[in-house]
Amino acid sequence: MTDGTNAGAAAPNADTHLEAPSAPLERFVRLCVPLTGFSAFDLHGTGMAPLYLDTTRRELGEGHLENFLSRWEQAQAEGKGPAELPPTEREIARALVYLWYTGAWPRIAPAVHAELRRDRPNGESMASATSYPEGLVWRAFGGHPGGAKPPGFGTWSYPPPTLPTEAEIAESITQSAATATRPYDPTAYGALANLLDEESVPPHLLPGACVTRSVPPSAVPCAAPPPETGSGSPAKDVSER
Amino acid sequence: MTVNTTGSAVDGRHFDVIIVGSGWAGSLLARHLGRQNWRVLVLEAGNGGTDTWEGFQDTVRTFSAAVVKASNAAYRTSAAAPFPDVLDLRSTGPSSYTTSGHFEQTGPFPYAGDYLRALGGTGMHWFGAVPRMFPEDFATRTNFGYGADWPVTAMDLERHVREAELLIGTAGDGAEQHRLGVVADPEYQYPMEEIPPSYLDARFHRLLDGRSVTDKIAESAYTLQVYGLPQARNSTPNPAWDDGSGNPYRPRGAVGMPNFGERCVGNASCTPICPVQAKSHPLRLQQDFTDSVRLATRCVVSRVLPGRGGTVRGVEFREYGDPATPSSRPYTVEADIVVLAAHSIENAVLLLASGMANSSGNVGRHLMDHPTLLAWAEMPANDPVGAFRGPGHTSGLECFRTGQGRRKRAPFRIEISNWGWGWSTGAPLSSVARMLGLGGDANGEVRHGGYFGPKLRRDLGQQVNRQIQLQIAMEQHAERNNRVTIDPARYRDGMGNPRPIIHYDLDHRVKDGLYAAREVSKAIFKLLNATDHTNLGVQDDGSHPLGYFTHTPGGDLPPQDLGYRGPGHAAGTHIMGTRKSTSVVDADQRTHDHPNLYAVGCGSMPSIGTSNPTLTMAALALRSAERIHRDLAELHQPVTVATSHLAGKRAAE
Repeated sequence: MTDGTNAGAAAPNADTHLEAPSAPLERFVRLCVPLTGFSAFDLHGTGMAPLYLDTTRRELGEGHLENFLSRWEQAQAEGKGPAELPPTEREIARALVYLWYTGAWPRIAPAVHAELRRDRPNGESMASATSYPEGLVWRAFGGHPGGAKPPGFGTWSYPPPTLPTEAEIAESITQSAATATRPYDPTAYGALANLLDEESVPPHLLPGACVTRSVPPSAVPCAAPPPETGSGSPAKDVSER
Repeated sequence: MTVNTTGSAVDGRHFDVIIVGSGWAGSLLARHLGRQNWRVLVLEAGNGGTDTWEGFQDTVRTFSAAVVKASNAAYRTSAAAPFPDVLDLRSTGPSSYTTSGHFEQTGPFPYAGDYLRALGGTGMHWFGAVPRMFPEDFATRTNFGYGADWPVTAMDLERHVREAELLIGTAGDGAEQHRLGVVADPEYQYPMEEIPPSYLDARFHRLLDGRSVTDKIAESAYTLQVYGLPQARNSTPNPAWDDGSGNPYRPRGAVGMPNFGERCVGNASCTPICPVQAKSHPLRLQQDFTDSVRLATRCVVSRVLPGRGGTVRGVEFREYGDPATPSSRPYTVEADIVVLAAHSIENAVLLLASGMANSSGNVGRHLMDHPTLLAWAEMPANDPVGAFRGPGHTSGLECFRTGQGRRKRAPFRIEISNWGWGWSTGAPLSSVARMLGLGGDANGEVRHGGYFGPKLRRDLGQQVNRQIQLQIAMEQHAERNNRVTIDPARYRDGMGNPRPIIHYDLDHRVKDGLYAAREVSKAIFKLLNATDHTNLGVQDDGSHPLGYFTHTPGGDLPPQDLGYRGPGHAAGTHIMGTRKSTSVVDADQRTHDHPNLYAVGCGSMPSIGTSNPTLTMAALALRSAERIHRDLAELHQPVTVATSHLAGKRAAE
């Protein structure tokens, strides 16, 4: 919905829209990072960022969306958190997080629904059939979405994974932001590959020839018999990794 | 290989058997009779297509797109063959509700279950729990003074239960089930090894086994013991299983995709849908149909046609082209034997609409479910269990299901849910909303505070991983006034067929059972050192949950907020018995009134104990298949017709 009264609010940023086609999306994702607690890398990685921007635009209208984004940008500049936003923006921030966490646009507080004068019913709806498996809530507890991305037979018998602390999450977001600005550098990967040259992995830790598919991985012989005990430190190093 | 046909192609034709419904019961019967070369026609009211890879993927996408992953979430609604949905019901106050959709409801409490009209029936969205019934469950009247006795015993059904466990494809621990007391043979082997128990089950084992809980209603102490659940879910083939052929058991996977789905991979969405089809469903059996079986979908049977001398002649049905519109054409088809296998509630509607099999007045009566109390709690911070992993539940606490406590209150089975607070609160989606403070307060105003960013992610993850839930299913015994009726003058579906009108209530035994279950859940949470978050009373927004009531069993026990959910284990609408005056079908599920009309399914069960009823239903279907084969064999021997029991019965009438 394009709301005539809010068209002016969108205009000042028209220049940034023109700078690069992906700029509004970059901005949307960047502003969602502190709301969701997931890095821009993670958010882009869901593959849902363009859909969610569209969904939010459709649910709120271009004007209200722009209003929200600029206010949230301003609040951040003032060192405020999302909980300190004015009520309407706070509820929109919650709806956005809900969208990222579940793949669905939620039913929002009726007061905000009325204030925004939305042209659609205030109900919960899945952004798309593909958005549900990309919900971040499943990742938040180290799980997987019910009915998608199954972890394999018997995995449920194991203890749940240890979750990162709040500080670790914040740290990973900062790190991700730092690396994300760096352009793709193939030599960086080349350098990494150099760390593991052919000699550094002893043959007895590599699998031998797998003759047929009927041979289970556990039965595939090693490329070489294991060395005598205490034969050399490189092998030990690698196995400890 | 399933041979599909259409309604128009079979119009006016004659078959040996017509089976109405392609769910577990119908598919087992059709498979069995087809292998004996009887010409069988299966008429399915619902939509097909899921027997292909693409068609099945379409249902997976429908499930993904659904906001609420309720049991019918993977299937589109149908105007031509409508079916109920758990989301049809809404609470409107402390003891009132409204319903929309397929059911009319007139009772003080809602019948809160659903079913599915589609190829494979409700067997497409079932969970796949296949516990056996206890021998004592078959005679509650004799043993405990309530309910109705079966005309058969657990021993009578044993052979067919085994066959059903094989055909459905069951994973379980035979020795453990023997210790539990439901399997007589200590050496019994299921075709597959038990589904690995969850980590949560292991915690329960550790913290609960051997501990004692007092049930004040039953006035008895119970020693807790966690048992694994036999499931119709693909697991490791059991090397000790032996059918005499010398061949190992090979799990059966997806239809339309060979070598796929032969193990459960932990999608954790058994109900509504297992995306890899490691959960067994009736389409597997339909793959085995011989050429003499014909199957037509989108054919809604509206009436059983009467024949001469108390027999039935065939059925009248309407075939539609588009599930979204009820426009359809009427056809008739005839058969020597008609089998209704359309779900207990639809069977009752069909019999009532046809004016058949009801000389006892018991068609539609004795409707039962397993009213299920949910109790949910949070494990301590240092003991996360990892919710939403694996099949919905893999173990349970069984001690409250049997014994003299049944004289005082309904017995119950405690399912240990692996899916956190999913059923009770809609977690983890609701957990996100709650932690954010989303959706406004009771006045619709924006809430204060709320968590965002790393704190939200961290706290949410911690909280969800500690969610535990007990699903405590009551036995509900047969009562005449819990019933399905029709009123064609007022309530019809789009195609003109009568809709079910349901009158449902909970009696004091069930209420006492729910009370006891709530007390037991509190004691269990205490033993687990878990924080009880169960709220069955007024919710944050001032509303009351569906099925809410307060109850005290009397004495000095204080009243308590209680509630229940309906798992949709509908049973008892045409119960079996030896006497024509009090039951609808005999021990082979043949109607007392019509020698060649069978009504099969959970509707025939006079009691359902605390076991999910599919396995017992499947065993009954196999029993009926043998009887129908005998009937048909006699019918097709003209020389001996005069002495056959069918003809004899006809002559007597």
